[in-house]
Amino acid sequence: MIRCENLHVTFNHGLPTEKLALRGVDLTIPSGEFVTVIGSNGAGKSTLLNTIAGDIESTRGKILFSDRDVTNLPATKRTKDIARVFQDPLAGTCGNLTVEENMALAYGRGKRSNLSLALNDNLRKIFKEQLSRLNLGLENRLGAEMGLLSGGQRQSVSLLMSALQPSSILLLDEHTAALDPKTAALIMDISSQIIEEKQLTVMMVTHSMRQALDHGSRTIMLHEGKIIFDLSGDQRAGYEVKDLLQLFAQARNDGEELDDDKLLLGE
Amino acid sequence: MSLYAFLGTLEIGFIYGLVAMGVYLTFRILDFPDLTVDGSFTLGAAVTATLIVIGYNPYLATLLGTLAAACAGIVTAWLNLRFNILHLLASILTMTALYTINLRVMGKPNVALIMEPTMLTPFEALGIPAMYMKVIFVAFCAVIGGLLVAWFLNTQYGLAMRAVGSNKRMAQANGIVVNEKVYVGLALSNGLVGLAGALFAQTNGFADSTMGIGTIVVGLAAVIIGESLFSTRSILVIVMSCIIGSILYRVAVSMALNADFLGFQASDLNLLTAVLVALALVFPKLRREWKAKKAKGERV
Ligand SMILES: Nc1ncnc2c1ncn2[C@@H]1O[C@H](COP(=O)(O)OP(=O)(O)OP(=O)(O)O)[C@@H](O)[C@H]1O
Ligand SMILES: [Mg+2]
Repeated sequence: MIRCENLHVTFNHGLPTEKLALRGVDLTIPSGEFVTVIGSNGAGKSTLLNTIAGDIESTRGKILFSDRDVTNLPATKRTKDIARVFQDPLAGTCGNLTVEENMALAYGRGKRSNLSLALNDNLRKIFKEQLSRLNLGLENRLGAEMGLLSGGQRQSVSLLMSALQPSSILLLDEHTAALDPKTAALIMDISSQIIEEKQLTVMMVTHSMRQALDHGSRTIMLHEGKIIFDLSGDQRAGYEVKDLLQLFAQARNDGEELDDDKLLLGE
Repeated sequence: MSLYAFLGTLEIGFIYGLVAMGVYLTFRILDFPDLTVDGSFTLGAAVTATLIVIGYNPYLATLLGTLAAACAGIVTAWLNLRFNILHLLASILTMTALYTINLRVMGKPNVALIMEPTMLTPFEALGIPAMYMKVIFVAFCAVIGGLLVAWFLNTQYGLAMRAVGSNKRMAQANGIVVNEKVYVGLALSNGLVGLAGALFAQTNGFADSTMGIGTIVVGLAAVIIGESLFSTRSILVIVMSCIIGSILYRVAVSMALNADFLGFQASDLNLLTAVLVALALVFPKLRREWKAKKAKGERV
């Protein structure tokens, strides 16, 4: 379970560039729930995920994982509970390490590294098995440098890496946004499989209204650092993409102009 | 080249092979250009020589010299991580401070070890001529050092360190404590360089306050030469190629200095090395530009 209580994040506090990125987010996500997160550019979606992961320190409020207060826990100590996939395919992997070395790193996530060899045949077998799920032929390229793989291939490996270690929470920040439609669909498929298999608690940021409604069981909309809409159950089941767009328009009328209409129409 | 000169070249090549591994750890593994080594090479030599002169066992003295140099690396890491001083500048500060510290440690500009026991003394009984024995001993040290470094980099901890140098965000998202790896990496790197300094002092019979000048460039030259020899992903081969690169560098230098028609003097060494390293750094970029230009030309 993830619980955010009155979460505030201010960037550049006290400077002319001060930015209130989160302004009192209250959110409880029960174990095993899959929440999609939508909102316009700059709404605070990434900030919310990064704060939950511990990359960003909150200025006010609390974060709890299953009633354990983790507000002051550094990011590296939260990795036992959290796996992540970033938007940028280059961000989630090390370009100058090999595929198997990257996977070995992920395999050790949340555990203390020691002086035993990082790779062995047993691990390679596990990695091969996992990679073959992708049907990209990567299971024969364990020793290839990650930097030689395409963005889509790298993102696929990142996704597998996030599932190598048991964790309870998976944070996906527009993890299919940089990919071509076919690869994006493949990645989304595998994401769903993994989430189902491991019964994960998931937050997935997306700009695609279709994706937001088709996946998970709850959708929240952020606007200017606040949750302005929280959809689930029957209400959500009755929603169409156009209804979500309406909500966006409403948010815009209430607040300032949205910078980009195109992204709202994105499927 | 005479046999004697050749053995001398090998000896110094092996010693600087350790330096090259240290430079490889910072420049290549951690992506932390660290100039501390100019000072920590001398520090390793100064501490070891001074302790030997006052009667310490040479092995213990060498260990302490190595540890002192490792501490210098930790200071640089601390300046960078704790106070956000740019890594290059942090290392220049430590290096500058070390110049004074080295003079203070020795109490004078140089310490002679000619008549003192060294790490090599126990092997004199073997009856191998000193000039061979020295090469065998430093070769042994360099190879063992290389094996240990390669093994370390292939462990979970070493892999985590490589991840830190490659992608900090990814490292962090996988639970790796970034700062700790930088501290350990700089300590290891400077420890290796300090050990090289200690070996240099004992095989050459002195420690001198200026002996470390240019260490970084020589180390870098060896790393670059080594890299250009093999294109491989094997850490063991890469680390060992640091030693080979160091030896080749020394051979090239002594040939250049020996070729009378070129008219080089020993004091030209630093300029030669700097030019060599600059060329090695520039060449891959130029080649890429040439290729790009050629490709463009063909398309038109
Ligand atoms: N490190 C930072 N320093 C200062 N301001 C920041 C920082 N990170 C984000 N912001 C600001 O905080 C606000 C929220 O940013 P955030 O990245 O969370 O938006 P987002 O909802 O993820 O948008 P997008 O859809 O474009 O990814 C933005 O106005 C952004 O400019
Ligand atoms: Mg974002």
